[in-house]
Amino acid sequence: MQQNIRNFSIIAHIDHGKSTLADRILEKTGAVSSHDLKNQMLDSMDLERERGITIKLNTASFYYSFEGEKYLLNLIDTPGHVDFSYEVSRSLAACEGAVLVVDAAQGIEAQTLANLYLALENNLTIIPVINKIDLPNANISKVKQELMDLIGFQEEEIILTSAKTGEGIEDLLEAIVKKIKAPEGKAEAPLQALIFDSIFDSYRGVIISVRVFNGSLKVGDTIEMMATGKKFEVTELFKTTPKEIKVETLSAGEVGFVCAAIKDIASVEVGDTITLEKKKAQQALSGYKKMKSMVYCGLYPIESVKFESLREALGKLKLNDAALVFEPETSEALGFGFRCGFLGLLHMDIVKERITREFGIEIITTAPSVIYQIILTNDEKILIDAPNKFPNKEKIKQILEPFIRTSILSPTEYIGDIMGLCQDRRGIYENIEYINRSRVNIHYQLPLSEIVYDFFDKLKSSTKGYASFDYDFIGYVPSDLVKMDILLNGEQIDALSTIVHKDFAYQRGKSVVNSLKEAIPRQLFEVPIQAALGTHIIARSTVKALRKDVLAKCYGGDITRKKKLLEKQKEGKKKMKQIGKVELPQEAFMSVLNVENKD
Amino acid sequence: MISSLYVHIPFCQNICSYCDFCKMYYQKKEILPYLRALEEELNQVYQNETIKTIYIGGGTPSCLSVEELEVLFKILEKVKKSPQVEYTIECNFDSVTKEKLELFKRVGVNRLSFGLETTHSRFEDYLGRKIDSNKAKEILSDAKKIGFQNINVDLMYAFKGETLEEVEEDIDFILSLDVSHISTYSLIIEKNTILGIQKEKEISSDLDHQMYQLICKKLKEHGYIHYEISNFAFQGAFSSHNLTYWHNQYYYGIGLGAASYLPEKRILNTRSLSKYKKGQRIIEVENLTTKDQMIYELILNLRLLEGLDLDDFYRKFHTRLEENFPYQKLVNRGMLVIEENHLKIKEDLLYVSNYILEELIYGEE
Repeated sequence: MQQNIRNFSIIAHIDHGKSTLADRILEKTGAVSSHDLKNQMLDSMDLERERGITIKLNTASFYYSFEGEKYLLNLIDTPGHVDFSYEVSRSLAACEGAVLVVDAAQGIEAQTLANLYLALENNLTIIPVINKIDLPNANISKVKQELMDLIGFQEEEIILTSAKTGEGIEDLLEAIVKKIKAPEGKAEAPLQALIFDSIFDSYRGVIISVRVFNGSLKVGDTIEMMATGKKFEVTELFKTTPKEIKVETLSAGEVGFVCAAIKDIASVEVGDTITLEKKKAQQALSGYKKMKSMVYCGLYPIESVKFESLREALGKLKLNDAALVFEPETSEALGFGFRCGFLGLLHMDIVKERITREFGIEIITTAPSVIYQIILTNDEKILIDAPNKFPNKEKIKQILEPFIRTSILSPTEYIGDIMGLCQDRRGIYENIEYINRSRVNIHYQLPLSEIVYDFFDKLKSSTKGYASFDYDFIGYVPSDLVKMDILLNGEQIDALSTIVHKDFAYQRGKSVVNSLKEAIPRQLFEVPIQAALGTHIIARSTVKALRKDVLAKCYGGDITRKKKLLEKQKEGKKKMKQIGKVELPQEAFMSVLNVENKD
Repeated sequence: MISSLYVHIPFCQNICSYCDFCKMYYQKKEILPYLRALEEELNQVYQNETIKTIYIGGGTPSCLSVEELEVLFKILEKVKKSPQVEYTIECNFDSVTKEKLELFKRVGVNRLSFGLETTHSRFEDYLGRKIDSNKAKEILSDAKKIGFQNINVDLMYAFKGETLEEVEEDIDFILSLDVSHISTYSLIIEKNTILGIQKEKEISSDLDHQMYQLICKKLKEHGYIHYEISNFAFQGAFSSHNLTYWHNQYYYGIGLGAASYLPEKRILNTRSLSKYKKGQRIIEVENLTTKDQMIYELILNLRLLEGLDLDDFYRKFHTRLEENFPYQKLVNRGMLVIEENHLKIKEDLLYVSNYILEELIYGEE
């Protein structure tokens, strides 16, 4: 049986048709009928709603018959939110092969490469697929050439598909069976099951996605988490086809879900190995490439009573988002909150969005910061993840900041714009690789702090959306940095401090006070805004006093309307944080990172 | 207990670009059926109370023909009027005639309210209405001759491109008319108006505020008392009908789209003429808790320069305002003042009273 299992993922740049291809495969193998495809999804969504699960389980198991043999195929989808490579990497750790999907019109993009390299690092068999060949602007021969030149595939191994029409799906399924290795591992060995995802269900507790590498797991077994040492009794095992199908055992090579009435979410860590209490494995699986948080920001509930709810929400999110880290912090301006670490800006946005949407907590996030290394005058090295934690200038010997190396894939006509953008962000030019005559891969070294905020948006807008972007962390580099403080009404607001390069401080100060002026709504009294380096004011601006908000006419006798208006106004204010006499909306906290060169 | 009546006449010969009130084009065949439906509503809601203020608003009531107006006044005859009744009708200079004015006088109307809006004909297209200040002068002189002493003129300002000088010229013109009451309105662009659909923008709030200050200053210099955010009058000529609203007192509102305030509820009528004629009048009822009533008490009274009478509040609700809405903090922050046991918004902050009301009413939530 194990010989007939194939575990694979689909990897692609965003929008290259990964999900439709997955749907089509399920349909083709009869896991779901085309008619059911929709129904199925709706059904499971209802179920999800009922049980409070908001993210789908991302694995589908199905059978495929080839040359008289029946194969069990496990499609391990990367979770919905992909922050660069991290999420992909943990799914890949559970597979033996990966289908690399490239859009026939777009060609190879930055994330295609990044995901491919990850798959190669995991020693996966790669099946190259050019998808969307039905598109009128598909350029199959050009994309084929890219796959051959850039990655070194042979022309004959490239499969052409259209997830829309179904063309080529059969070829793809054949290739999966023929080329991807059956999982190794022994069913009789001690249990080693990799946790590659988990979610919280209010009825069943934590639901764990596992890939069994060795041994087997039965309902009723007492399992042990190798990292945390916590023990639980397995209450339920199931697979998804994508319907939930209960099973009695999960053996070496198989993928499935484990429930063990786990209520304490902290006992399950994605990347950990599950073993049996009675027959322990010698060592844990190597897991997957663990990513470190690159970007930190403060998360504060707008209503301070929601602090504990926020802690609980973050804990639940961490369950299937191991890269999220958080610890309590206090701000003079914002009160009690959490310092949270993220893989990148997209990751941060998703977490923020989920807290608001799934947990109903209105929050303010402070401007994201990277981690700085500071060498003190006594040669002690400290790590700082927030500008307001910077030590006094006199105590600092040297400041180092993280640098990254970019891969920016773009049509050649935008080279100038991209280089201009990188130059503005203190970039150090490395080189330009020509993928073919019309496309390049541009490499720059950039301070991470310069890309955490709006670099990606700027890149997209200056290349009409054609450029794609990825980066690698390369190390810490000494930089001439200073802390810039912001004063509102003459009071320093700790949550608005930023770290800036000395040479850019004046320019940055000016653009920050201006964007704060735009972001802060007029209030009853004038609000002076100042940017300062130490006690030295480098830029100033003013939010003018509110001049008019009254309704001159009371709509005849329809006064109900006036009350509704006030209620709406109140709702708007609930999204703002009162600091001293000033009310600040979320945008104000982000505007300190605005680097428009407005003059 | 209920001593005010509002009567809505939704018809107009012309639709102004900014108008958000319930209105429709004048169509001869619609008028009498409408008036019959109005009569039916009056018969149903009116409980024979003595009425101290009647206000016929619109729309443009004066666009009805003399015969139609006679039918309207005949209907309103059954309303028992106090000897000191204030009886107002809204008019525009375009449609009102000497004959109509004489009719108003004859049936007991004693207050006229005219929409002048501006004297600058360059705004005709923008506002979508005729502007003729000579005609206005003529009509007002006729009205006075016929014996109307209590006259209001509406002034609008803050049109796109309007200058402070133009506003000043308008004020000077209105001053020359020597009327007892002046209402001024800064243009608000509402969603379902012609201007709103054309996505016109309001002028900067800074300039708007300057215009407002100019208006207040000039009118006060000429003996008008600034008694409500946008209303000015000579001593003794305050609008009793509007004071009913601002003092949060009950009133009947009959007609299409009209609003009523009755014990513990506010009612809004439909804007659909066909439904109204079928007697399906009510579209929205807001049932009021004591707290709601207190909120309205604040929203409305604080529009007045004299503010909210704290004793009146206690008499009405048997609890002190401070216990329900702790206002002292806002007094300390310079937003509110207490004078002679009245709570009021500081005069120079009246133009931002929404901000203050929100703090006062919802600040504790």
